[in-house]
Amino acid sequence: MTVLQEPVQAAVWQALNHYAYMDAVFLAERLYAEVGSEEALYLLATCYFRSGKAYKAYRLLKTHTCSTPQCRYLLAKCCVDLSKLAEGEQVLTGGVLNKQKSQDDIITEFGDSASFTLSLLGHIYCKTDRVAKGSECFQKSLNLNPFLWSPFQSLCHLGEKLDPDQVFRLSSLHIPVAPPPPISPAQNPSHRLDTALMETPQDTLELNRLNLESSNGKLTSDSTVSYIDSSLISPDPCSLLANTVSMGSTGSLLGKPNKPKSGRSLLGGPAALTLCLQSVSRIGPSKSVFGQSGNGREVLPIPFSQSQGSAPHSSTSPQVLSPTLVAPPNIQPRRSTRLFTSASSTAKENSKKLKMKFPTKIPNRKTKCKAAKTANSNLNESLDILKLDSSMNDSKGLSTPGYQSITLQRAATDMVLYMLRELGRGYQALCCYNCQEAISILSSVPAHHYNTGWVLTHIGRAYFELAEYTQAERVFSEVRRIEAYRVEGMEIYSTTLWHLQKDVALSALSKDLTDMDRLCPQAWCVAGNCFSLQQEHDIAIKFFQRAIQVDPGFAYAYTLLGHEFALTEELDRALACFRNAIRVNNRHYNAWYGLGMIYYKQEKFSLAEIHFKKALSINPQSSVMLCHIGVVQHALKKSDSALETLNRAIGIDPKNPLCKFHRASILFANDKYKAALQELEELKQIVPKESLVYFLIGKVYKKLGQTHLALMNFSWAMDLDPKGANNQIKEAIDKRYLPEDEEPVTEDFLYDSAADVEESSMTDADDSQLHTAESDDVL
Amino acid sequence: MATPSKTPPGADPKQLERTGTVREIGSQAVWSLSSCKPGFGVDQLRDDNLETYWQSDGSQPHLVNIQFRRKTTVKMLCIYADYKSDESYTPSKISVRVGNNFHNLQEVRQLEMVEPSGWIHISLLDAKNSPIRTFMIQVAVLANHQNGRDTHMRQIKIYTPVEESSIGKFPRCTTVDFMMYRTIR
Repeated sequence: MTVLQEPVQAAVWQALNHYAYMDAVFLAERLYAEVGSEEALYLLATCYFRSGKAYKAYRLLKTHTCSTPQCRYLLAKCCVDLSKLAEGEQVLTGGVLNKQKSQDDIITEFGDSASFTLSLLGHIYCKTDRVAKGSECFQKSLNLNPFLWSPFQSLCHLGEKLDPDQVFRLSSLHIPVAPPPPISPAQNPSHRLDTALMETPQDTLELNRLNLESSNGKLTSDSTVSYIDSSLISPDPCSLLANTVSMGSTGSLLGKPNKPKSGRSLLGGPAALTLCLQSVSRIGPSKSVFGQSGNGREVLPIPFSQSQGSAPHSSTSPQVLSPTLVAPPNIQPRRSTRLFTSASSTAKENSKKLKMKFPTKIPNRKTKCKAAKTANSNLNESLDILKLDSSMNDSKGLSTPGYQSITLQRAATDMVLYMLRELGRGYQALCCYNCQEAISILSSVPAHHYNTGWVLTHIGRAYFELAEYTQAERVFSEVRRIEAYRVEGMEIYSTTLWHLQKDVALSALSKDLTDMDRLCPQAWCVAGNCFSLQQEHDIAIKFFQRAIQVDPGFAYAYTLLGHEFALTEELDRALACFRNAIRVNNRHYNAWYGLGMIYYKQEKFSLAEIHFKKALSINPQSSVMLCHIGVVQHALKKSDSALETLNRAIGIDPKNPLCKFHRASILFANDKYKAALQELEELKQIVPKESLVYFLIGKVYKKLGQTHLALMNFSWAMDLDPKGANNQIKEAIDKRYLPEDEEPVTEDFLYDSAADVEESSMTDADDSQLHTAESDDVL
Repeated sequence: MATPSKTPPGADPKQLERTGTVREIGSQAVWSLSSCKPGFGVDQLRDDNLETYWQSDGSQPHLVNIQFRRKTTVKMLCIYADYKSDESYTPSKISVRVGNNFHNLQEVRQLEMVEPSGWIHISLLDAKNSPIRTFMIQVAVLANHQNGRDTHMRQIKIYTPVEESSIGKFPRCTTVDFMMYRTIR
């Protein structure tokens, strides 16, 4: 039966490899009906999951017992995708009610895919409000596999202060203490790789047994040779890998009889990458640090190509014998999983660029038609490997070219980890809102990494958080140019354009994104921002609600919806929206700000201050936030602390005109007219066209009794307000005259007197220049 | 005798909305009519579609009642009327009354229209020229063109002035530079 499975499994994996899901599903269904084993079940579930039908995989796995870790992992993944978090947790840990397994148990049980399992578990914990446990899981996951970015990202989002230098580092911890179980979860590509590697010789042995009886005779003589080689090189994990690949066997790993699987898990973390790096070093031209899938794939047929040659092949087979010597009870299940996992590793298209073309080779060998095609592409690599093999076999020890390749691999791994560290530091800084630092870190990465969507998006976001919207816009437009398919971060871009009031760019962005992907929340957030800018708030509300429907876990959509409700004066609904945003993401400071703003509108100033301060605690360098806190404190009659806060705000960001404006208004309210005037004069230089500035200057002069200057400024303020006269300015002018004159003054009279005043003030050079500038603009 | 000049159409209220100085608040109110023909009621009056209309079905004056949950500031009322399509159904004399409830209404504006062909803007300002604050508005059609009995009204919009900027009791800022820093979004 097991023999019968193999070609079918290989065919299924090949179909999966080529994204021919219908074929894969059909064959897997037949296989499962025929065999009914757990591996076949897992294969079928994988086919369903990869074809996008998580619910099918879920139901299948639910109705049949799955005891193997890989089945359980897949079931848990389906549960999480279908938002059945409690069930997913139960599958992984035994649930909340039963005795829960500890994380160490999970590590031992899942072996190499423990890092992914823990990451998934951490995700479940965070979503169900057990943040401490979640972050613990993420930490452990990162310890096991430093190449995982998503646990690191989740930890940053939780506000944890990690040290990327410690996280993204290979450590001795990568050799786990307890041996992982024989049946390894196939989801871990690296694990699959190494199991495949381990199994490769067994498989070849199997096929040999089937097809070629003759080669077995050569086994014993070469076995010692290869065995010695492996044991000599075994201490160094990378060399182990090198040895593995070059000799096409994992017998070296099995050289440690106590920990036969440790080598496997060893390959879990660094090995995966070193393997592909090795492939890179072999293949040569690829400059990328991460081996491409094509390259990775090409590594593995090497065992086969070796097998086609008699001498290297024979060296592989003796390695196979050692596992039988070491762990006889495991042979039977391991072989079946091996056949299965070896096939699976080929099929995992998303693997860390490690593809095992192993199973695809099986039909190739059998049919011998595709072998030629695929072999050609692998010819160079196989030649290289063969050369290395022969050199290794010749030297019977640490061969220099092998050692060089190992150091090359090591260098490449280090470079990858260096990149991860740098990006990790930058991301960490951004999540703590140290935006300047984040920008400097992210800008200093190598140019070919800098000019990618991810890096530029995060730099753009850093500028956005600093309220430097023009810079942010520049960076984001670059992102659009480089990666037009990128949607992550586009909602920030749309808000940037909203602030800059660039309606044309915003509507173009909105159209592009909604055409491209109607199922991502960012596209609908952009559309909503577009209509909000056009003051069509009802339509904007509709689009933000659509964004929430598409992804209820997208906090920013709630925040934007809350802002829209606030603009349409539906303050209760706005409050509810902001609270929802905080429920989704506790560190979403925009939502805390939104709550504060609503309370300010309702004149609940102390509540407003509390919420603003909470937002500030999350993002301490926001000058806009400090400005708002200052205004609220002034409203609470705490003018001194208000002034202090505003001074802090101006210290952080001297370019923020509103801080100066509010400082001036507070000084004015406290009767410090001279200081206020000075402030406003400075502001006039920064923003010469703002009517509010002149309005306030006018009020100050009015208080000082200099009516002609007051009137002049009021008239300028009115001129500068193109959308029609502001009632307040008109009132201010009218009120000016009421105490002096009995009858109310008409506007014409005001303008005449203003004209007279203007003529008299022509002598003042600065003012006149400004005035002429104004009058030109007014027309 | 010189024919009275036709009432010129006003600007499209949508343009006004885009300036950000006014906001349409009809959605915050409860609308009711004195009478209507089936299929030609409040929905058609408030559907943003100039093709559909309200047709009254009773005796004059025909009334449109707009009641708010709370005392609301209203600045302007816009009515779309088109003599060419409605002929004798086109209102000619309209009275706008405000108050707290049905028994408390007082007329604030009365206007005559001669062959209107678009939006008619009715500004609702009190004695001090500021927008009025009220619970209820009643638009009464007192007479139609050609002495028609029933009336068509195609669309009504009611506008409130937009509150000042989100922070501070100051008028709206005018430059982008100021507005950029006004709020965190």
